[in-house]
Amino acid sequence: MSRTYVLRTVLVWTLLELLAALQVPAVGGGPVLFSWLRTLIEPVAMVARGSVDLAVDLGLGARGLQRAMVENRQMRIDLETLRARQMLLQADLAALREIGDFAGPDGEFGAGALVGRCTYRDLIAGTMEIRTARSFILAYDTPVVSAGGLVGRVMRSEGHRHWLQLLTHAAAAVAVQTDDSLVHGLALGTGSNALTIAYVPRQAELERGALLVTSGGDGIYPPGIPAARVTRVRESDEPFLEVTAVPTADLHSIRMVLILPKWAPAPSGGPP
Amino acid sequence: MRAKIAILATVTLILQRALGMPGMPAWCGHFILPMIWIVAASLVRKERHWPYEALLLGLAWDLLFGPVVGPGGIAWTAACLSLYGLASVVADRSPRAWAAFGAVGAVVVILVQRLAVMPLGLASFLTFGQLVWSAALTGLWCGFVGMVLALDLGEHWRAYQVRKLR
Repeated sequence: MSRTYVLRTVLVWTLLELLAALQVPAVGGGPVLFSWLRTLIEPVAMVARGSVDLAVDLGLGARGLQRAMVENRQMRIDLETLRARQMLLQADLAALREIGDFAGPDGEFGAGALVGRCTYRDLIAGTMEIRTARSFILAYDTPVVSAGGLVGRVMRSEGHRHWLQLLTHAAAAVAVQTDDSLVHGLALGTGSNALTIAYVPRQAELERGALLVTSGGDGIYPPGIPAARVTRVRESDEPFLEVTAVPTADLHSIRMVLILPKWAPAPSGGPP
Repeated sequence: MRAKIAILATVTLILQRALGMPGMPAWCGHFILPMIWIVAASLVRKERHWPYEALLLGLAWDLLFGPVVGPGGIAWTAACLSLYGLASVVADRSPRAWAAFGAVGAVVVILVQRLAVMPLGLASFLTFGQLVWSAALTGLWCGFVGMVLALDLGEHWRAYQVRKLR
């Protein structure tokens, strides 16, 4: 019996069965054939509906996941921003406390002292830019100090922004003395972090580690502000000792400074 | 020849209808008279092709006796194919073979037709006794026809006429 023979038999029998099913009414109305077709189509339709629902759910899930990822990323950014802001605020708070501790007990600094924030520094050039909350025109040579000690003087002022000459500037000079006022000298900037203390007599008793404070002899800085600490003392053929010191203020890391406008010298001169 | 067979097949269908008429004995309904045509086709015909004649016979059976048209065609073609297969392995062509083929054809027709209407919800009650009765009576009918053909009564009648004319 050939395959064609079998196929023809199956085909004819199927057609006859479908013909019979078309004639028999089903329980719910309509031919039995339609109920068969519904029975055949229903699983396919169910699978199709399920597939569509699954695709829709997957799409919604993917969109929700994407939205959640975006929100998560934004929240991470916000969190990092808040952390950074918190760190900055903590640093500012610490600096303000230092400034407060430094300026508070001293009545001379408390009146009229302004707080400035360091925004830029160039230690090689010996300059620093600070900003104040309010707009001021500071006088030339207005002294600026920090919790560590003397920082420098105002070279230029423009509203909120003020430019300082650090005491390490190559052209800077500060009149200093020891705590007991027995030894006097002139701290000269060298363009580096070191200071040269000039005009210290050979017979002066100065030791390494001695603290030098401003003497006020230069007419710019108020007396008694810590300015430098001696790192090296050497005798030479010159009539003065070769003394090297470093600023007491950490110029690398200071964030807040205190401006002392009341100690600004009389406007007799101006920027050279 | 085909027209004559078609007319005779129609006659058997009409007789089958008559067997089920009111007043006839109940056992007459177990006869399947048109079965003789597919038995003859399987035992006499040399060339075999797909049984379209059985299909037409089955559809006619459905038109006359069935609730729907279709299952009869399946049943009668199935019976014809079964008898084709049986005739290819059985060499006997005696009236006894006609009777056996008729019985087998009846069983196949009845069973396949019940199977075909089962998905439609139209399957009726069938007992083994009914099946045996149908097989037996249909086999007797086919065996009777086979015996008549074996006796070749037409030839005897023609010889009798020739002798009478002399």
